[in-house]
Amino acid sequence: MSVDISAMMLAIFLPLFGAIAAFLLPRAAALIGLVALALTTGAVIWLAREVWQSGAVILPLGGWGAPLGIDLRADGLSVAMLALTSAVGLLVSVSALDALKGAGQSRQRQYFWPLWLLLLTGINGVYLSTDIFNLYVMIEVIALAAVGLTVLSGTRAAVQAGLEYMYASILGALLFLMGVGFVYLQLGRLDFAGLMDAEPTGALIAAVALMFVGLALKTALFPLHFWLPAAHANATAPASALLSGLVVKAALYIVLRLAQYMPFPSEALLTLVGMMGAGAVIWGGIQALRAERLKLLVAWSTVAQIGLIFVAFARAGELGLTESWKAAALLILAHGVAKAAMFLAAGRIKDEIGHDVIRDLDRSPIRPTLAQFTFALAAISLIGLPPSLGFIGKWALMEGAMASGYWHWVVVTMVGTLMSVAYFSRVFAGFLRFDRVRAPVGEHQGWALADAAPLTLAFAAIGLGLMAAPILSFLEIGYPFGVAP
Amino acid sequence: MTPDLIYGLTGIAVFGIGLVGALCVQERLRRVLALKLCSVGAGFVLVVGAWREPPEMPDPVPHALVITGIVVMVSATAVALALIRRLQTLEATDER
Amino acid sequence: MTDPLVIFDLLLALSIVALAVASLSVRDLFAMIVLFIVFGLLSALAWVRLSAPDVALAEAAIGTGVTGALLLKTLHHLRFVAGGQGLRAGSGGTSMAPAAPVPVPVPVGVILANAAFCGLITLGLAVAFLGAPSAGPGFDALVADAMPDSGVAHPVTGVLLNFRAYDTLMEVVVLLAAVVAVWQIERGLSDAPAPVMGEVWQGFARLALPAIVVIGTYLLWVGAEAPGGAFQGGAVLAAVGLLLLLTRAYVPRPAHRGIARGAFVLGTAAFALVALLVASGGRVAFEYPLEHAKTLILLIEGMVTLSIAVTLAALFHGREPVALPKGGRDDT
Repeated sequence: MSVDISAMMLAIFLPLFGAIAAFLLPRAAALIGLVALALTTGAVIWLAREVWQSGAVILPLGGWGAPLGIDLRADGLSVAMLALTSAVGLLVSVSALDALKGAGQSRQRQYFWPLWLLLLTGINGVYLSTDIFNLYVMIEVIALAAVGLTVLSGTRAAVQAGLEYMYASILGALLFLMGVGFVYLQLGRLDFAGLMDAEPTGALIAAVALMFVGLALKTALFPLHFWLPAAHANATAPASALLSGLVVKAALYIVLRLAQYMPFPSEALLTLVGMMGAGAVIWGGIQALRAERLKLLVAWSTVAQIGLIFVAFARAGELGLTESWKAAALLILAHGVAKAAMFLAAGRIKDEIGHDVIRDLDRSPIRPTLAQFTFALAAISLIGLPPSLGFIGKWALMEGAMASGYWHWVVVTMVGTLMSVAYFSRVFAGFLRFDRVRAPVGEHQGWALADAAPLTLAFAAIGLGLMAAPILSFLEIGYPFGVAP
Repeated sequence: MTPDLIYGLTGIAVFGIGLVGALCVQERLRRVLALKLCSVGAGFVLVVGAWREPPEMPDPVPHALVITGIVVMVSATAVALALIRRLQTLEATDER
Repeated sequence: MTDPLVIFDLLLALSIVALAVASLSVRDLFAMIVLFIVFGLLSALAWVRLSAPDVALAEAAIGTGVTGALLLKTLHHLRFVAGGQGLRAGSGGTSMAPAAPVPVPVPVGVILANAAFCGLITLGLAVAFLGAPSAGPGFDALVADAMPDSGVAHPVTGVLLNFRAYDTLMEVVVLLAAVVAVWQIERGLSDAPAPVMGEVWQGFARLALPAIVVIGTYLLWVGAEAPGGAFQGGAVLAAVGLLLLLTRAYVPRPAHRGIARGAFVLGTAAFALVALLVASGGRVAFEYPLEHAKTLILLIEGMVTLSIAVTLAALFHGREPVALPKGGRDDT
């Protein structure tokens, strides 16, 4: 009697068993965590191969099949998100080994791994789910694990930020749950397939609105972003990288899926989404320009970048949605990789210098050159300079907007790009001006093996731009956006 | 006037009250309670959706969903309350 | 014809709404929690009226009982911390929890604007609700067809442990994530003294404990055929833990952490293992072979009940029992 194991189950259950083992054996947590991450990455690669060869795969759990049971489904977009998660996750895990090695950090070491593996379970679960109530449970798994990671450092600022994050997270999930309730009232089913082709009645419009607002709160779309900067800026570096690079993407992904399956939005609603995104680009940019600390600047840039993803989504209106989602997906992938690299680099800089006050970056005798280089590479992708993946995403955004005559989104993108150049330049200025302090040559560097992981991510953020064409064709596998399945 | 109508509107009202509390209230403990009210409101809507006439055989699926929702909510509440206690302790230590 | 019942429904609905408003607006936090508990119990009653006894049990036991206990515990802690600060501790239920920085009062205009905004949303939801089909389409027929193959007789248990078992597994994962997070947030043996309990209370606990254990186990067992099941049973058993903790009959020690960890993960691990291992011979994950379905479901439910009971009690205790070096925080 042999057990048939599917790659999809492994992608969810391997991190779950890893979390259990890491919680039971705190001393071996790091080892268990790395092994679980490596195995999960293997499962995702296996799944990617399957999807590449035979298109979207479906697994009806319990053999019941939707709508009674819950189906797991993997298509190009899901696998791309899973790949982003495990690649970024694996590298962040490697750098966590170094970031949490301090003698006073035994507690952080002990709890980082089970919480992060539970988070991974939830994120992978979201990308494979096809049932809106199941998505609700998954976003709660993510929320609790993410809050646990936010407050890992135990400082007062982190706990305060974690509590605000918790309130926002619970409220977002409850709005989503209420939306699920209205879907049930109207349609009597909860699976994605059941949502397709439904008439947009009052109850369904209410459901879409509730679910969208709930997810906007979770992904920190302006003006519901208030919790994000403090939470992401006060977490320890690996946790910040996971929160900013991966966690907000899960809610974004659900928005994309809902847009695919729900009786969607009129033009007006899509414009509203775009305007919220534009507000985020501008407000996030202004706050990043004013931020005094490096990590806070990076966190505000997350707010701006998420806004940009929503602009990409709305760039060509309702008719353009069949193409717009790809621009949004590219930007999601680009941001996930680059922002994780940037937060890790910022954490390295803070560790080496001992603070992260931007104004005083150039006063330090220690120059963590490799971390600074990593930061700059990540910034290139986030600003959107060629040939980075960020550039391809922005280009797709503007091309689509111009083709459909929506010039205002082009203007927003340009303004956002200029602002990101401006706020990242503040940091570069701190990196480059060596004249304030003449340090002894020996102390001039300050780089370590720990820079390897963020550097790899930063190079990936740029290098993936050269692979944009295969990524785009992979995204389209089994993905019937705008095309009858 | 059937029970589903009455309790459906009750649930929506409770959800709305919780929403006001979640957005306006400053006290930490009361905000947690406001969120719990929202979850009860959402539970009402699902339970009402399951109600059938005659009432002997309601749809069991929403019932299962609400039970899941209740357990999820108590977990989230426990974490929020632990954060509140921790924060209070930290604030008290800082004051001293 | 059904007039008396309609009047009952209307009165109950009005009380529920009134209690919701009252619990948010009453000044005293202790009164707030008491009003909330009454609110929760009346909501459970309403769900009984809507023929949802399982949900009512869960709401009464977990949503109201455990949540109420958690809130009271936190209030106790807040007042103790505030008392240690030299501020006037609220004895006998005066005063708010004196947060160290007094929150800036929100301008009335902002509150009114927010309330009006929420009112509009609520109105919109009400309109949408009235427009939705009443007693609309559902899973009724699908569930009725599949019940004979589910291994249990009670539909809600069938949905929870078989048709949508994946959701339920993830719900147990949420509970696990909560206890991991809570242990990470709080640690130490104890800083707030336990509330003083009279002798009557101790005697009551001694009498009540066996009865609670019996009720909890019964709820778990009966779940296969009638309202009840792992979650309700687990919550009732958690009450045992709460009583033991409150009466100090059991004090968590650092040495017990290993066993506690095992108990927290037991439900998740057993559930996940069964779900994976049944996938053989053409079956997929979570597809129990029919002849063993009832046994497997009871096995899962038993493990999950145990985990839920221990986890809820640990969430109530609210900290990892670890000895702190003198002077407080070990590391941050």
